[in-house]
Amino acid sequence: MKWLHFTLIACLVLALTACGAGKSGSTSEADNPSGSSGSSGASDSSKSSDTSASRGKTELVFWSPFSGPDGPFMKKIVDAYNEQSDSYQIKFQIQPNGDYYKLLDNAFGTKKNMPDLMIMHLDSIPTYVRKDLLQPMDDLAAKAGITKEDYVDAAVSYATIDGKWWGIPLDIHPLIMYYNKDLFAAAGIEHPPTNREEFLEAAKKLTDPSNGQWGYVMPTLWPQQFIFPSLLYQQGVDLVDADGNPALNSPEAVEALAFMKSLIFEHKVSPENVAQDGEVKLFLQGKNAIQFNGPWMKDQWDKAGINYGVAPIPVFFDQPGVFGGSHTFVVPKEQTDAVKLEGIGDFLKYVAGHSLDWAESGQAVASKQVLASPEFQALTQQQTEVAKEFDYVHFAPPIEDWGSIVGELWTQINLTLLGKAEPQAALDEAQKKALQAIEAKK
Amino acid sequence: MRGSWRSKLTSSLFVLPYFVCFALFLLYPLASGIVLSFQDYDMLGSREFIGLENYKNIFTPGTLIHDLFVRGLSGTFKFVIYSVPFLVIVGLALALLVNALSNRVQGFYRTIFFMPYAISATVMATIWMRVFDTDTGFLNILLDKMGKTGPHIGWLNDTPWVWIALVFCTIWWTVGFNMIIFINGLNEVPEELYEAARLDGANAWHRLIHITLPSIRSISTVVLIMTIIASFNVFAQPFLMTRGGPGYETTVLLMNIFAVAYGQHQGGAASAMAIVLGLIMMVVSTVIYRLLSGRRG
Repeated sequence: MKWLHFTLIACLVLALTACGAGKSGSTSEADNPSGSSGSSGASDSSKSSDTSASRGKTELVFWSPFSGPDGPFMKKIVDAYNEQSDSYQIKFQIQPNGDYYKLLDNAFGTKKNMPDLMIMHLDSIPTYVRKDLLQPMDDLAAKAGITKEDYVDAAVSYATIDGKWWGIPLDIHPLIMYYNKDLFAAAGIEHPPTNREEFLEAAKKLTDPSNGQWGYVMPTLWPQQFIFPSLLYQQGVDLVDADGNPALNSPEAVEALAFMKSLIFEHKVSPENVAQDGEVKLFLQGKNAIQFNGPWMKDQWDKAGINYGVAPIPVFFDQPGVFGGSHTFVVPKEQTDAVKLEGIGDFLKYVAGHSLDWAESGQAVASKQVLASPEFQALTQQQTEVAKEFDYVHFAPPIEDWGSIVGELWTQINLTLLGKAEPQAALDEAQKKALQAIEAKK
Repeated sequence: MRGSWRSKLTSSLFVLPYFVCFALFLLYPLASGIVLSFQDYDMLGSREFIGLENYKNIFTPGTLIHDLFVRGLSGTFKFVIYSVPFLVIVGLALALLVNALSNRVQGFYRTIFFMPYAISATVMATIWMRVFDTDTGFLNILLDKMGKTGPHIGWLNDTPWVWIALVFCTIWWTVGFNMIIFINGLNEVPEELYEAARLDGANAWHRLIHITLPSIRSISTVVLIMTIIASFNVFAQPFLMTRGGPGYETTVLLMNIFAVAYGQHQGGAASAMAIVLGLIMMVVSTVIYRLLSGRRG
């Protein structure tokens, strides 16, 4: 009898565990620095573009995480390519943004349903290169007539590891400043702030707590992953030291965190206890004058009909510097079919010349040819402002599984900005946990 | 002989569809999970057996896996302790309430209370984040209108409010299930018992304490155990609404298992963590089951 009870309960536990997993499986992960759906939880099922007229053509499966409003822009490029190509047919597949790397890992792990070409975030490339899962793009690029000089340097040099080129960039999406033009006009501010003094002055003028209006609402969670590193680059340091070891509690890092905290508790230009996406919700309601976020937010502002402006992030310390992400094209190592590789090269060459459609989504593209084109220069609402930051954009340190090494950092920044921790102690703890995570990999 | 052989075959065939599903979706994943927990698996193809190393790490203070496990488990335990009593008591209260209504409106209210259970986690989180947001949330705006002054309450990032918010939305989301089971239990109680009690002059409170509760005792045990297990598996509410914050206050174990598997690329360690969690759930459930059913004699 005892055993029967035990077995029954065991089955019950397992059954409910399975149900629980099923229920939570469909949620999206907004912590993933993806830049395609921003804060809204996109969880579309995969869609594929039509495969008509593909007879006689070599089919290439292309995976992307563009399940947000950016998906149709890429589809337009793919459709136009398929239209004009006699030899290749790109089968464009959109995977849910939040689950993208889970699906990629499963494909890599099982070697099943592997795409021929895929989008990967630039800062994920080091992880997958070290695990020997990607293919160098040098030969493919050379055959297609693609050179490194065709693209913005920052993205190319980051994707060059051990002398080989692993990812061909599509865009670069750095942190940028959005500001509410109506609130600026009402406060009599002529131009967006460019340095710390102007920023503080403007933020204070724009703050009116009695009216629920704030100069700069400080996020305590996402997108701190973009904001905090930017403040370090502006002091000439990185989250790692010259040897690639985590340096999360450097004096500069403490200084940056203390500055952010002072905006809430000393200058009081931000409310306390800001919840996730609180700054976005207030911006949408016209109660937050300035916010730093990624270029992918454009679609939300446009839909809400806000009168907003875009400008580079102000220089708070000694030099300009900003954190960014980048979408790149990579090819899995298993892909050795010469015809397919040639097709991939052909498609990427085409994209380099025709990525203006991608820029329409609000992104600034990495192809110099498109950046210099008059059509791109005419996109003055956001894209050209974003491109201004390309000269000083930085990416996450090129270290395997960097995301899990800095997991504690975001937790500690959250505690500090909620007024529950002090910058130095918080960053010491983050540093300790980062070293522990590295130790666990050995 | 022959007849019994045939009847065995026939009955086996009836069980077969269930058994196939059971094996495919429970037995096989469970078995491979156990195997995985003895391996170092980077989730990308390379795996090797490392014996009990993963389990050893869980119980070695100072390692990443240990810290993530302990922190996550404490968050999960807090959630279980805060949420289970409410989920059971509110479920029972709603069941009594609905059962006391006239037959015509019973179905209507049953549906109303059960409906949130059918909503997906993402939708539930979106709704309640709008209610609980610090500056634009319905609740704080309501408090402002009622004359509350001072900084807004951080319903999603300040203790103890964050637990109140999480437990409240969990009740709203899942209590309908418990209610339905309780209603079934209540319908099983023989009407004669109540009639006899009424003749003896028992009031409503006495009827509840002396007839209803003892009669639904076994079904209450089932509800309690299922609620505990479901609460141990909490993931979506903190993952979507608080991101585990403030700090790691509401970071639950499943979130950390997820982080070890897909962030740290240590599938074996994540499996070991999940299996230890499963064992803890079994022990807790068994103990509670025996405590409750043992007293009956």
